[in-house]
Amino acid sequence: MSNAAMQVRSRIPRIAGAAVERARLTVVPRRRRSAGRAPFLALVSMVLLGGVVGLLLFNTSMQQASFASTALEQQATRLAARQQSLEMELDELRNPQRIAAAAKRLGMVQACSPAFLRLGTGEVQGQPCAGGGPESPSLRINPLPPTKPAILDPPPNVVTVDPPAGDAESTDNSSGDTGRGNPDRDARDGRKKNDR
Amino acid sequence: MPATTPRGTRRGSPQLRLRIGFVVIAMALSVFGARLVQLQGIDPNSYAEMAAAEGIEEVELPATRGEIVDRDGEPLASSVDGMMLVADPKLTDEHAADLAAFLYKLLDVDYVSTLAKLRAHETDEGVEARFEYVARRVPATIATDVVEEAERRGFEGLDTWRDPLRDYPAGDVAANLVGFVGTDEPLAGLERTFDKELAGIDGSARYEVGSGNRLPLGESTTTDPVDGRDLETTLDLKLQWYAQRVVRQTVEDARADSGFAVVMDTRTGELLAVADDPTYDANKPTDAPKADLGSRALQNVYEPGSVQKVLTASSLIDLGLVTPRTKIVVPSQLDRDGRVIHDWFGHGTLHMTLTGAIAQSSNIATVLAADKFKRGQLYSYLRHFGLGRRTDIGVRGETKGLLPPLAEWTSQLEDRIDFGQSLSVNGVQMTAAINTIANGGVRVSPSLVKGSATTDDGQQVGTDHTTRKRVVGEQAARQTAIMMERVVDPDVGVAPAAAVPGYRVAGKTGTAQAVGAECGCYDGTFTVSFAGFAPADDPRFTIYVVVQNPRNGGGGGSVAGPAFSQIMSYALRRYQVPPTGTRPSRLPVAW
Repeated sequence: MSNAAMQVRSRIPRIAGAAVERARLTVVPRRRRSAGRAPFLALVSMVLLGGVVGLLLFNTSMQQASFASTALEQQATRLAARQQSLEMELDELRNPQRIAAAAKRLGMVQACSPAFLRLGTGEVQGQPCAGGGPESPSLRINPLPPTKPAILDPPPNVVTVDPPAGDAESTDNSSGDTGRGNPDRDARDGRKKNDR
Repeated sequence: MPATTPRGTRRGSPQLRLRIGFVVIAMALSVFGARLVQLQGIDPNSYAEMAAAEGIEEVELPATRGEIVDRDGEPLASSVDGMMLVADPKLTDEHAADLAAFLYKLLDVDYVSTLAKLRAHETDEGVEARFEYVARRVPATIATDVVEEAERRGFEGLDTWRDPLRDYPAGDVAANLVGFVGTDEPLAGLERTFDKELAGIDGSARYEVGSGNRLPLGESTTTDPVDGRDLETTLDLKLQWYAQRVVRQTVEDARADSGFAVVMDTRTGELLAVADDPTYDANKPTDAPKADLGSRALQNVYEPGSVQKVLTASSLIDLGLVTPRTKIVVPSQLDRDGRVIHDWFGHGTLHMTLTGAIAQSSNIATVLAADKFKRGQLYSYLRHFGLGRRTDIGVRGETKGLLPPLAEWTSQLEDRIDFGQSLSVNGVQMTAAINTIANGGVRVSPSLVKGSATTDDGQQVGTDHTTRKRVVGEQAARQTAIMMERVVDPDVGVAPAAAVPGYRVAGKTGTAQAVGAECGCYDGTFTVSFAGFAPADDPRFTIYVVVQNPRNGGGGGSVAGPAFSQIMSYALRRYQVPPTGTRPSRLPVAW
């Protein structure tokens, strides 16, 4: 302690002497550590080990997830391609040209002009007509074959043979089709007749 | 005293040590700096490449091209994941014949040419060939299946690469409008016009890989692709198909050069079908002649002929100069300043009403009625009907048509324009003009694209930009419509074949001499047409059928009329439009 401090103390009134005695600063005695180093070291090692193992596990699981995601992405790409192919197939099946051809094969015919039936009054609007009748339009859905030059398209050699007598009942009707209301078949039959 | 002894005798003075330290640091830093300049300044790319080679993978994330769909969302053009099959002839040579047979069976490729590709050979440059296309634009599923199967059977040297596939599921339906995509870029039609919107923007991804898997904590950057926008058209796929078949049958039966039909929604101006013939399969555009790849309905001009009389008559009525009952004395021929005007049918002097002039398609009567126009009036009306102007619906190469400028109009020219000669139109333009009559005198601008889209030259088109403009009064339009009804009347009209039983149909035939491309004169061929709408008193559809150069001697009524009737009948049924049930027009045609 310096002299200046002692001078200050001497100037303090005596009444405060006891208080000053009490307030004097002393060095706190160093406390001895009773705990050993072992637990702390164990804790740190545990944390370290836990951290390393955890990191390793985390990394492994990330890698696993990466494998899974690669596999799933590939699967998604494959499935997307599959979906697109299927949609393409579907669109081709819905192509009006294909549907029309299928309908013709089934013997369906085109409707003539539209007509409406009012259910409330029973009134018919428009002029209804039978499908496949003379008013019904016939639409060719395929282009005509290209016209060939005459040399490639010679006139057919027609030989007329009289049907054997008494066999007039037998007609070209083996499929059980009446031939009526079936212009497709009529056309085919007509062509056959021309060929004959 | 130990305090006076300098502490650093053994280590040297602090100042010296500091200096030496600084020098060492400066030397180290300048080495780093030099290295930095070398790496970044002199040759930055080679190291980046070396890094990339060290397991960094960069892939392109392709944007999906937008679909082109019809008004119900059915695709006219769609994109499918495609692949190309390529071969390394050096490796495939061993089993070339077996592999070619295998590919022929699975992919339907040509056996002989494939075999030649699979055999070891030299390229044109004399180098050993290591790359040949076996098949292009194969759907991805099929391509991968084929390669897997080939590997299973022990064939080597096949590989697949990405090769986007554009599919046109309906084949030739609307092909003339939709266009097609070539190997690298769209080549025609809407595909090309709206390519910027359809194409989208490709993205890319860059990441580190280890044995085929992405490293989780490695470098990874991804730019997502922006898929292309779908283009929605106003077309109706089924109606378009039907119209195309009807037009083809009409063209074939008349042994004509070409033909087209335009179907327009009267109220909205939306084009439901623009059917061209000859057409082509959009999946095989190279099989068709180049002339058939465009749309004749928009890109060709022709003289409209008598269909034009509808516009002349409605303008006259709108000006209050005539009525449908105006009486006209029609001589057998008409001499106008030295040029004689005839009718298509020989006759003596007739007493026709204006309705008769339309129903019988008399040139002389129309010219006489049109004499009441003051100079410039018809020109102004025709401009407002949209003639001589592009419709701008988004089809590339559309023609403006040819309406002579007013300064060139002489009285002879005006006479010819009265009945549809000496001016040219395109099909959609004329449909929109006739539709003006159907729509009560208001011209609705036609549109092909739903909503709004931007063409490659920056023009905004689509239904969002539809304009409506009154051209003639409602009364004038209605009176013109009931005059046109008499055209399909079996007793007094020239085109009974265009009628739709049960419905009131208004229409007009046209048989015009066609101008040949070579001589620029009438070359003796004809353009026959029929334009009309139904139901006449509450129109829903306007249909215009044009056939070029029929060789069966038919006119507008007999060639185009039945086609009109078939398409109209189908459209009315498809959109469930009942007949109006009102009494048909009984306007007198003669007096």
